[in-house]
Amino acid sequence: MKLLNKYNRLTISVAVVTMLITGIVYYFTISSVLNHQVDKALMVEEREVTDYIRLNQHLPQVFKTNHQSIAFTAVAVPGKRHFIDTVYRDLKDQELEPARALYTNIHAKDQDYQMLVVQSKVETEDLLALIFLITLALVCVVVITFFLLSRAILSHIWQPFYKILKQLSKFQPSGHEDISPITSSIDEFIELDTAVRNMANRVKSEYQTLKAFTENASHELMTPISVINSKLDTLLQTGEFTELQSKILYDIYASVTKLTRLNKSMLLLAKIENRLITDEQPVNIKTLITTQLNSFEEWLNGKTLILETELHNYSVRASLLLMEVLVSNLIGNAIRHNTPGGILQVTLTNHTLKISNSSLAKELDFNILTKRFQKSASSEGTGLGLAICKQICDNYGFNLNYHYTNEIHHFVVLFKQP
Amino acid sequence: MESIEAYFTEDGNICETAADFAAAMTKVNLYRYDCIILDITLPDGNGLEILKQIKAGQHSDGILIISAKNALDDRLTGLDLGADDYLTKPFHLSELRARVAAIVRRKTFNGNNILQFNEIWVDLVAKEVKVQDSAIKLTPKEYALLLYFIANKGKVVSKNAIAEHLWGDSMDITDNFDFIYSHIKNLRKKMIEAGSSDYIHAAYGMGYKFSEK
Repeated sequence: MKLLNKYNRLTISVAVVTMLITGIVYYFTISSVLNHQVDKALMVEEREVTDYIRLNQHLPQVFKTNHQSIAFTAVAVPGKRHFIDTVYRDLKDQELEPARALYTNIHAKDQDYQMLVVQSKVETEDLLALIFLITLALVCVVVITFFLLSRAILSHIWQPFYKILKQLSKFQPSGHEDISPITSSIDEFIELDTAVRNMANRVKSEYQTLKAFTENASHELMTPISVINSKLDTLLQTGEFTELQSKILYDIYASVTKLTRLNKSMLLLAKIENRLITDEQPVNIKTLITTQLNSFEEWLNGKTLILETELHNYSVRASLLLMEVLVSNLIGNAIRHNTPGGILQVTLTNHTLKISNSSLAKELDFNILTKRFQKSASSEGTGLGLAICKQICDNYGFNLNYHYTNEIHHFVVLFKQP
Repeated sequence: MESIEAYFTEDGNICETAADFAAAMTKVNLYRYDCIILDITLPDGNGLEILKQIKAGQHSDGILIISAKNALDDRLTGLDLGADDYLTKPFHLSELRARVAAIVRRKTFNGNNILQFNEIWVDLVAKEVKVQDSAIKLTPKEYALLLYFIANKGKVVSKNAIAEHLWGDSMDITDNFDFIYSHIKNLRKKMIEAGSSDYIHAAYGMGYKFSEK
């Protein structure tokens, strides 16, 4: 729920409850004031009758009007004087109307009478209804005005907040965009903005340090690896080796090769992330794929893979080196993880490159797959191949997707449409 | 550097070394070489400056740049300045040897692009191989393999180095180099059939040696 809605719901419900309570209090207050008014009228009637009796020594003649009636009943013992709420039958409409009545005692010609004066309250009721309606209308008007007003004001005031939020959700430590400052006169937002920008800068600089470390470490490692490599080559020339020595040397060679590859991959990844490879040019993907497939010939034949290609001409503007790496890594993976006698399909249509392969592996989790150093236990790769592919695609705004249908793994690159 | 020196000297070649920028500059200004292997990252200067110096003197020494950086910029600057080739660390000595041999060949046999090893003739322009005047048809990989072996004659060349030379980065796909065997087997068969001696010897299961014995 949006803050604005939450806020509105709270304030409006409080306002409505308050208004209802005041309405009720208002109703009862006015109603009692009006009752009091009617009671006074009744008492005036009582006094008039008493005055008339004192003057004329007999009961006055009474008539019923539309609002009032007076009745006398002879009683033995005088009753108590009191007011009651009652109903009054309207003379015209014969309808029952709320009314107020006064029982009182009078004495005329040595006879006690109980006098009943009834006064219709229909007019006061009408007045109350009117007041109630006006109050209700007022409540509605207030609620609507409040709602609209708060909406307008709040969405305006909260604008900087949403702006910060939008930038924050787009923020990437590896990205090159900074969080731009917002203009606001509200202290809280200014503080938030400062805090967010400080944090973003800190995150970025930490990330840069880490990246620089990776790159420098990889660089520094290259020289000792190079020395090991040369020394091994030299050692190889020194003479005869026993079978065991040969085996050991072979293993050392293999490890050094792996180390070199790993190091190269890490360097490449760091470079791509830092966007240091900028030799953008039109790259014909079809030609690239054909070349790559040729260089993989030995492995395709070695695994007796069935190669199906459907290649249309398609060019993108990118670094040739990176496109080579992308295509080579994807095809290499598709061959590496294939089963002997399996299928490898390469389809290049307008801005889509799809590489599909059969494999013993079940459906893979693409998100985990593109993380660094994620690889199957049996894989001979560095575990960086797909991470590099992902990074290349991210850099150029391409989309790298994966799906799994009918035991075939598909990796799809959606090139950015020009 | 010692390794490089040893690897190149053995064969009757003369190999001199300079450990820093100043020594390199002195040597470059005093002597002429068939090929200079230049490490860009010197302890007291940029190797590219030496390259500029050589080129400014109009000397025709072959120059091969080696660098720890795979940076495209270095590579392009180096080649733009007139270097003949570029090699990124780490590399196999046999690879370096093959590259240097290619540069020296280009420099020395200007116009005459025939490489001869005993009864084997290789026409580098037409990419043809003859053994005792009978031409043999080699696949591109076998041809590359033969040149690589001749450049590294008398040396044990590891399977890794061969794989890297022939397939470059594609060989990242596997650690298994058995497929090299079939190429070598075919090359050897074709050459022996054409009447050549058997020069290719397996070396301790790690690599191969191209030698007369």
